[in-house]
Amino acid sequence: MKSKTSQITTIYILIASILAVFLYKITSLHLKQEYYLIFNLLKDFFLILLTGAAFRYVLSKNETRNKTIFERLENTNNEIKESNEKYDIVAKATSDTIWDWKIQEDKLNWSKGIKSVFGYEEDQVGDSSSWWFGNIHPEDSIKMSIKLYSFIEQKTEKWQDEYRFKCADDTYKYVLDRGFLLKDENGKAIRMIGALQDITKQKEEELRLKLLETVILQTKESIVITEATFNKNLLPKIIYTNPAFTNMTGYASEEIINNSLDTLKGPNTELSVIKKIIQIIRNKEEGLLEIKCYKKDKTEFWLRFTLIPIYNSENELSHWVSIQRDVTEEKNQEKEKEQLIKELTQNNKDLKQFSYITSHNLRAPMSNLTGLLNLIEDITIEDPELNEIINGFSKSTHLLNETIEDLTKVMIIKDNTSIEKENISIKDVFENVFSQLTNQIEIAKPILKLNLENVSVLNTNKAYMESILLNLLTNSLKYRSDKRILKITITAHQTGNTVELVFKDNGIGIDLDRNKDKIFGLYQRFHDYADSKGLGLYLVKSQVEAMKGTINIESKVNKGTTLTLTFKNK
Amino acid sequence: MLDLILCVDDDPITLMLCKKVITKTSFSNTIVTAKNGEEALEYFDSIINKKEDTQLPQLIFLDLNMPVMDGWEFLDNFSSNKYSKVNTTKIVVLSSTIDPEDHEKSKKYPMVIDFLSKPITTNMLTYLESKI
Repeated sequence: MKSKTSQITTIYILIASILAVFLYKITSLHLKQEYYLIFNLLKDFFLILLTGAAFRYVLSKNETRNKTIFERLENTNNEIKESNEKYDIVAKATSDTIWDWKIQEDKLNWSKGIKSVFGYEEDQVGDSSSWWFGNIHPEDSIKMSIKLYSFIEQKTEKWQDEYRFKCADDTYKYVLDRGFLLKDENGKAIRMIGALQDITKQKEEELRLKLLETVILQTKESIVITEATFNKNLLPKIIYTNPAFTNMTGYASEEIINNSLDTLKGPNTELSVIKKIIQIIRNKEEGLLEIKCYKKDKTEFWLRFTLIPIYNSENELSHWVSIQRDVTEEKNQEKEKEQLIKELTQNNKDLKQFSYITSHNLRAPMSNLTGLLNLIEDITIEDPELNEIINGFSKSTHLLNETIEDLTKVMIIKDNTSIEKENISIKDVFENVFSQLTNQIEIAKPILKLNLENVSVLNTNKAYMESILLNLLTNSLKYRSDKRILKITITAHQTGNTVELVFKDNGIGIDLDRNKDKIFGLYQRFHDYADSKGLGLYLVKSQVEAMKGTINIESKVNKGTTLTLTFKNK
Repeated sequence: MLDLILCVDDDPITLMLCKKVITKTSFSNTIVTAKNGEEALEYFDSIINKKEDTQLPQLIFLDLNMPVMDGWEFLDNFSSNKYSKVNTTKIVVLSSTIDPEDHEKSKKYPMVIDFLSKPITTNMLTYLESKI
């Protein structure tokens, strides 16, 4: 502008000077002296007019130009203002955080999102790129910076990246960062502007879906997804099968997709089950079925599968999911088990019958022998040798008879699964048992302590209960210590429906460390007493268990024995 | 003392024992025996047909387990109309069975008054005497 002003001025001086010289020349050649003054005045007027006109022209031209420039400036200004406003509105509307990086000066500005999304206060936000890079998750930062610098050096055309960005509270958010470069006239990158989008939710969902997918891919159960409706007259079209399905059937997923599960049918496939499947699909209900199927290599197998209808958000049936398993082995085992149970049941029945017959056949001649011996008793035998022989014969017969009777008793207890129970007075039972043992009690003279607490009535089988008490008391009396007076403590205690009967004595005890397993066994004897048969505790346990109770023993050699019986008492 | 009783058992020793004990306790004057259910029925047939001068026994000791015709089959036949004239005779089952079902089953026959376990004893007969 300055140069133009001096230019115009120079041109004006030049033109004016030339004009002045030209006018002087004309006046000196053509005018007379006397007109000179007038002419000078006219010439001055002319010059004034001429310069005036020139001034006007220049000034008016300048003014119009200034006006257009000013208008243009104002427009630009408005545009910038509007653009800034738009930027603010957009920045506010999107959840994106915008950053603006002047690369040469390394100045980086962040939009308000840095506070609202990442929680940084203004004074926490750094103003250079190092603050930005410093907050990128260490595992992501190298990969990210390589990609970013190759973009700035313009080796790549586009830049966008996903990484984890640290928040003010030290947690990380997944972000998607997209940016573009501003270049100077030489094409050098001078500024970069980008937008960080918080994609934590998407990323977490993605990871969750990936995890769920691994379940489908890794599970040993076959998973098949089909369309909702029948594929013409076939079962619905398959749209997905997992690797386990291929493992099970031999069909690769691309072989079976777009086909239907009818592919697995074969000669022994049960039509009735197919009908059921059709029914289920028609009724849109859940199902669990088993069917004979065929693998790709035509081997037969048992398939157990569910049918689960899948509904979309509009509550329309969209798919069927079927979870399937090869249960051939289970089926075979089941069949074997059934067969085994059948055989065992039959065996058991046969054995039971056998034992009744055997016992009858043993008992019949046994009773004859007993009867005959009864007759002999009344006959006096003179011959001492014959008398001795008959005595021995009689003893052996009675012993054999006892054994048979005991075994018979056990058999009946074991066979009676449902025994009759009645309400009996516990006191009566004890009195009855004590009266049967009067002789032994007389001899041993024990200290008997009976504490029945709140238990007065027992719902139990009377004969069994008496037999149990009789056996336990007989044991206490029989296996007493000769070093101290026998003390028997019997307590009964009821909590809720459960009755506990405890028998405690200070007798010779049993070495449980050695005999733990045998203690309730049949014909197990722990003391060499002439009249011990090894049957008492076995019978007691059998009877307790027949009444759905339990029995426990604690014993110490030369200290005593405690037996605890537990019953339900309704 | 009874006049006549019938013992039905396939075991000759048992029959011998019965005779001895009954005689000893003077439980009955006369004792007749049958080896199985069929023989016992034949005995009653002859009473019905009045072929010989056969008497009606006052009591039967009946074994259950016998060949040809066992105790149950005898009881079934004896309960039928054919024997309605004679089946007022009381029966005591005398067996060495221990099957509890047998005991239950015997209760269905009205003429069975007791179910006793072998061997027959003098005490048993004293008890029966008081019952009849």
